[in-house]
Amino acid sequence: MASILSSLSHAEAGAAGSQSRVSWLRRFQPSSLLWIVLAVILALLIVAPVGALVTKSFTDPVTGGFTIQNYIDAYGRARHVEALINTLYMGAAVVVLSVLFGVPIAWACTRTDMPFRNAIRLGIFGAFVMPPYLGGVGWILLAGPNSGWINVAWQSITGFTEPIVNVFTFPGLVLVMAINTYFTVFILVSAAFEMINSEMEDAANMLGAGPFTTAMKVTLPLVLPSILGSALLTFLISIALYGVPALISIPARFPVVVIQLSEFFSFPLRVQVAAAYSIPLLLITAGLMVLQRRILARRGFAAVSGKGGERRIVKLGKWRWVIFAYSMFVVLISVILPLLVLLMAAFSRSWVGGLALDNLTLQNFRYVLFEHSSSQQALITSLTTGAAAATAAILLALAIAYIVQRRLLPMSGALGFLAMSPFVIPGIVLAIGFYAVYALPPVGLYGTYLILILAFTTRFLPIAYTTGTAGVRAIHPEMEEAVRILGGGRLTAISKVVGPLLKRTLASGWLLIFVPAAQELSTAVFLVGPNTRVVSVVLLDMSEEGLLERLSALGSVLLLIIVAIMAIGVRFLGRDFMLRRT
Amino acid sequence: MLKNVLVVTALAALLPIPALAQSDDFAAYEKQLYEAAKAEGEVIWYTSQFTTEMSESACQLFMERYEGIKCSPVRATGGVTFQRVMQEVQAGAVQGDVFSTNDQSDLLELKKLNALEKFLPRNVEFMSPILKPMNDDEGYFFVSSVSPYGIAYNTNLVKAEEAPKSWSDLTDPKWKDQIAISHPSFSGSAGLWTLAMRNLFGWEFFEKLNEGNPQIGRSTADGYNLVVSGERKIAVTAIALSRQGEAEGQPVATVVPTEGLMLPPSGTAVLAGAPHPNAAKLFAEFMLSEEYSVWLRDLKRYPLRAGVDTAEGIDPLDTGKVITVPVAEAVRGLVEIQESFRDTFGI
Repeated sequence: MASILSSLSHAEAGAAGSQSRVSWLRRFQPSSLLWIVLAVILALLIVAPVGALVTKSFTDPVTGGFTIQNYIDAYGRARHVEALINTLYMGAAVVVLSVLFGVPIAWACTRTDMPFRNAIRLGIFGAFVMPPYLGGVGWILLAGPNSGWINVAWQSITGFTEPIVNVFTFPGLVLVMAINTYFTVFILVSAAFEMINSEMEDAANMLGAGPFTTAMKVTLPLVLPSILGSALLTFLISIALYGVPALISIPARFPVVVIQLSEFFSFPLRVQVAAAYSIPLLLITAGLMVLQRRILARRGFAAVSGKGGERRIVKLGKWRWVIFAYSMFVVLISVILPLLVLLMAAFSRSWVGGLALDNLTLQNFRYVLFEHSSSQQALITSLTTGAAAATAAILLALAIAYIVQRRLLPMSGALGFLAMSPFVIPGIVLAIGFYAVYALPPVGLYGTYLILILAFTTRFLPIAYTTGTAGVRAIHPEMEEAVRILGGGRLTAISKVVGPLLKRTLASGWLLIFVPAAQELSTAVFLVGPNTRVVSVVLLDMSEEGLLERLSALGSVLLLIIVAIMAIGVRFLGRDFMLRRT
Repeated sequence: MLKNVLVVTALAALLPIPALAQSDDFAAYEKQLYEAAKAEGEVIWYTSQFTTEMSESACQLFMERYEGIKCSPVRATGGVTFQRVMQEVQAGAVQGDVFSTNDQSDLLELKKLNALEKFLPRNVEFMSPILKPMNDDEGYFFVSSVSPYGIAYNTNLVKAEEAPKSWSDLTDPKWKDQIAISHPSFSGSAGLWTLAMRNLFGWEFFEKLNEGNPQIGRSTADGYNLVVSGERKIAVTAIALSRQGEAEGQPVATVVPTEGLMLPPSGTAVLAGAPHPNAAKLFAEFMLSEEYSVWLRDLKRYPLRAGVDTAEGIDPLDTGKVITVPVAEAVRGLVEIQESFRDTFGI
């Protein structure tokens, strides 16, 4: 490929007679073309939608001229401002809960002799596989104020008539979000814990500190940057979720930004106002990202390194059971209980019917698999668009990571920065940007698979890029240099050395993207057409009607397929492939 | 032989039997439409007028009658469905063929945007005389279902004598935390219901209702399902759902409020620029066919055809009291009451 390109450019050089042009072209290396191609792709995927968002927000929908009226419409109402404040408040609460869930378990799983560590880890991966909206449905079944299972059990045991838990409240909303997002905290903080050596902890122990004092005074400060970093990520993820607020914040009467945005998309359709409304959110998330970089960049702890030092496990004594009980509790409320009630509802005629033989049925599965006209198609669409997006994202990201890490081209840092930037774009905002650029004429991709794949690729590019960077970094350039010395070109080095060495990175990165992409809702919600509906959108439509049994059945089928694909991945990659994320 | 046929045909044409001639005529038209539709192969039906299950079974019925045409319903609440259609219209990439909603003001808005095909099924002439005048007078959409709003309650949790009798009973403090309603920004019929209640009682009705802390869902069907599951005792919902539920043995019963049922006539139109225009027209004809009305009746819904009676135990529409909201008023009032609703209920 590169040789074709280079011969082409030489041919052009010969054709273009002028001296100055030839000299420019002589300096022009074929690999620069690759840089240009990648830059164009990133510009199309990221700069264009965000640019369109900004431009639209200042565009008068009628005249097409400049206006700030969209911002006045978007923020001129107390209720719209309130939704933004609510969202920030909710995000902060989700962060606190996610850290409370994620950090102790990450510590217990990596640094202590807590029993059943692998079982707990496996349970937490369940939180990664379970999409947030299914967790939400699970908790509606568990904690609906009148007939939620926990309330029914509570009332029949105590005889009280008041419910003990109610999912349709602010704490309910925060809990349902946190049981999904704490996974991010767990993964990032686990990785940090695994890189700390034990010498400092030993010093504290020798000076008489018990295991908990050591953990609080020594270990915790060492991983604080990772905790803060993952907390910010959690914040970004939670404020952008669409499914959970649609399920819970409407009955809870807690307006948030994503619901308000979807209102601007109803009648009268005001893309411009929606764009204006999302700009402050974008600024906040971008600001947080800058903050996160600062915090992580200041990490001058020599103790946190990949090399040297012994890492020993802390013996907790009887406390090991306490921390195990806590971890088990978190796994229970985040994965096991919601999954259990979801499965039970899927096999029930009526989810309130409980465990009775005459309540048992396979009808829900028959309905979603064979009778419902679009769910079969939607399953295929979800899996194929997820797979296509994962493939595109990982290949794109690896190419960029390779160029950035090997410093092959000038300004490659800009590519890296762009590849990471979708992290700060909430999914639903990205969807509005994509809608504005690619759905409308003249491009007119509305309702195509392509627009979904492009949007998903963009959305998950940062995950791909971090995985790719880690993979490339792990390969020492001397092996490629050996190829070059022996007369092989860059391409030979890539195909014969780098490629095979990156297989594992490719596969694990692919899985890390495929799982969320196959379940993605926030980005899909404004981009699907009638023939390109993905499972998450079908589930959302079912949830409107309260068809919880059927929704559970379809959700279980999706989960089953994804778990099967994960299981194949784990078989080939080993159980710890997810920890390679950092 | 051929000669005889010709003679008979000629005679038939001469004889004053308009109905027969018409049905022959219709059969020919239908056949022609069917052939053209078969070439298109598919019809995509954006709908909020039925539940997912009913939409699927309506499509099933259509596919049995017209083999070779795939019928794909895309069911969501009126608000979401309208949002999707509007997105397509704005993108200049209409993907749906037929659009059905409980909120006819959506159809008027689309008509203003030239997004509707000027088309009424020939079958409109057989429509029930109460429904026929509700079709669009310029011929852009027709009434495709009548789904009155009433009250449903859970019979395990509420005794018949304790059940609410009227709309105003909903504000009784005894129903605190036990009512389900739906959001007028999502559900089209909930929007009309909100307007109708405001017209009847003034906005104070909703302020009092809010004190009872109703659960606010997105779809009308959600309230019904909350009552079936016992999560809520009573719901403002489409009584067709609860009547069908009663027939299936679910623990629900239906209340026809003393002030009258609220009547949102659902409307259907063929979208301008539909990718499958002939299939769309055939589907529209099918919605006013006798077969379809019989199917509606069997599901305890109101038939659309003049010749098909309502199911046993259900009074025909013209005998009971009904509350309606004129479309013109809906167009003016809906955005305003959606705002008021959000102010009062905080969402």
